[in-house]
Amino acid sequence: MKQEGLKFFTDTYLTSLGLLIFFLFFVGVLIWVYRKNSSKIYHRMEQLPLTDGDSL
Amino acid sequence: MIWAGAAFLFGLIAALQLAYWPMNANLEWITFGRLRPLHTNAAIFAFAGNAIFAGIYHSSQRLLKTRMFSDVLSKMHFWGWQLIILAAAITLPLGYTQSKEYAELEWPIDIAITVVWVIFAVNFFGTIRQRREKHMYVAIWFYIATIITVAVLHIVNSIEIPVGMLQSYPVYAGIQDALVQWWYGHNAVAFFLTTPFLGLMYYYVPKAANRPVYSYRLSIVHFWSLVFIYIWAGPHHLLYTSLPEWAQTLGMIFSVMLWAPSWGGMINGLLTLKGSWHLLRTEPLIKFFVAALTFYGMSTFEGPLLSIKSVSALGHYTDWIVGHVHAGALGWNGFLSFGMIYYLVPRLWKTELYSKKLLENHFWISLTGVLLYYISMVVAGITQGLMWRAVTPEGQLVYPDFIETVVRIVPLYWVRALGGALFIIGFFMMAYNIYKTIKKAPKAVEQTSYEVQRTGFDEQTQDTHRKLEGMGFTFSVLAFLAIIVGSIIEIYPTLSLHRYVNPANIVEPHTPLEIAGRDIYIREGCYVCHSQQIRPIASEVLRYGKASTVEESMYDRPFQWGSKRTGPDLARLGKKYPNLWHYSHMIDPRAVTPKSIMPSYPWLVEKNTDFLVLRKKLSVMSKLGVPYDSEVVANADIHAQKQAQEIAADLESNGAPKGLAKKEIVALIAYLQSLGQKGKAQ
Repeated sequence: MKQEGLKFFTDTYLTSLGLLIFFLFFVGVLIWVYRKNSSKIYHRMEQLPLTDGDSL
Repeated sequence: MIWAGAAFLFGLIAALQLAYWPMNANLEWITFGRLRPLHTNAAIFAFAGNAIFAGIYHSSQRLLKTRMFSDVLSKMHFWGWQLIILAAAITLPLGYTQSKEYAELEWPIDIAITVVWVIFAVNFFGTIRQRREKHMYVAIWFYIATIITVAVLHIVNSIEIPVGMLQSYPVYAGIQDALVQWWYGHNAVAFFLTTPFLGLMYYYVPKAANRPVYSYRLSIVHFWSLVFIYIWAGPHHLLYTSLPEWAQTLGMIFSVMLWAPSWGGMINGLLTLKGSWHLLRTEPLIKFFVAALTFYGMSTFEGPLLSIKSVSALGHYTDWIVGHVHAGALGWNGFLSFGMIYYLVPRLWKTELYSKKLLENHFWISLTGVLLYYISMVVAGITQGLMWRAVTPEGQLVYPDFIETVVRIVPLYWVRALGGALFIIGFFMMAYNIYKTIKKAPKAVEQTSYEVQRTGFDEQTQDTHRKLEGMGFTFSVLAFLAIIVGSIIEIYPTLSLHRYVNPANIVEPHTPLEIAGRDIYIREGCYVCHSQQIRPIASEVLRYGKASTVEESMYDRPFQWGSKRTGPDLARLGKKYPNLWHYSHMIDPRAVTPKSIMPSYPWLVEKNTDFLVLRKKLSVMSKLGVPYDSEVVANADIHAQKQAQEIAADLESNGAPKGLAKKEIVALIAYLQSLGQKGKAQ
């Protein structure tokens, strides 16, 4: 089983597929994070350190 | 700050030792080989470590709107960590080391580190559990990733079997040990010197500038890509070694990919100050943050550059790398910590900073120091790299004598020492400034308590990532998964070492006396200046001989490939010189290599080799799979003494003093003579 698994390291289709999956996932995350309608949420998040209750 | 001062001073002494060898003072406890690990440990774990903890304790309580989970745990964490530092400061000069860079501490201290880290983790996650602010700010994520990953790295890299109170052999051998070590070593940079400091940056820069971080969205992308990618990058320390090619390529590709998230972080930090640049005049401490971020950007640009194979071929083993790490350590970690200290102390003591003028001076003097340091080392490194590889049209080395390349860069070592001295002068200015600030603070400070509302818990949201941030445990598990994927894919296949070993090239394990010598080699930190890995590069093969193979180090626990060549590579040293040459070389290196900058090791002729412990050492080795005959294990000391007699007799017949057989020098010579001589098929 282990030996079979290790053989995949030389399988270029599989590695290319892996690259494609990761890349698409990354692009998906980017699009999702930069969605327009999430501005309000992020605005509150980024204020957290400035509204932490005291001046210390 | 005391540890910072210590770390910087050790660094300065080490720098002077390279420029002027008599600074080693013939004292075994402070020779370069032992001082250098002390310096790196003090800088990373004592100075940076305590700065991180101070920042995390301060900012987490404010971001999570609650007091730390347990004051008792906080105290245990603080004192435990200081004791560990103290233990390191005692054991490293005495020569107790595992010789794995940044993981030199021996097993009892390793266990103590684990315990203290767990205390810290319980305290931190307990605090997260009882938080009054549901949403975890990005700084908290960085802290979470730090705590989880450092625990994983430390435990996996430190699996070892003790052979005595302060000595152990790792369970990994050769390429496995090298890969695990640099998976650890690189991620010590990533998760001890990068992620926690980024967390601090995301808190203190907005605080100091009094405006929110430039792009919160960018910080999300920055965090996840950094955590996922960084863990893969370790093998770029092992390019051109006998590590399997696929692992080297993975390391290189992921290192280059790191460009994006690192610069994302830098840009995010710098742009936070957009519109606040006037503060540089009224709040000069922001200068430290700006410089820190700039150095972060520069080092993270240079890092991936150096991990490209062809650049690495030139830069690896040279002082360029030393310059690179110091731009990161002094510029990024140092300046960010200084900025944080200048921000924190007046606020904690409820007073004003004693002198802004002094702060300004500290900044400019230290900045000059770092630049001198960095530039001199890059120039030295590239000079060295080019001289090593210079080949005439006839295929001969232009500089066949290694010492020529050393002599050429000694002036630059002086410039480096000057840069380091300036940095320290600046640091003392800060120490004085902070001392005066605390002194003038009001003595009796009223205890004020703050009413904090629970916020964010009853909000209805549809946003998934936001929900995720609200779930401390799930978030931590995901961060853990992000780092573990890369780790397993990289390390697991290498654990079946036999797959990479060519049965025709199997080597003989070291003899008992050679093992004794190898441990002395490790104790004296010879690996700090000498590599044992010949790269398959034309100039290196010309200089040293056949490139190193997997088999040669297959029984080496720990691996001894080295990461710096202040002196030449030793992989093919065996039988190159007579025993007497090695003897003279240890007693007075200048007798055999004029102008050598190597320290002398006179105590090797005085100290006796511990022969009895060899039985224990060999039995541990043989348990770990090194094919020793049971008779050799049982009579290891007798075998060793016999071999020692032969070497001593040879030394004596060539003019060395009588009665050296019991001395450590003989064991060390046995080891050095065995290097590159163990292959059956060679």
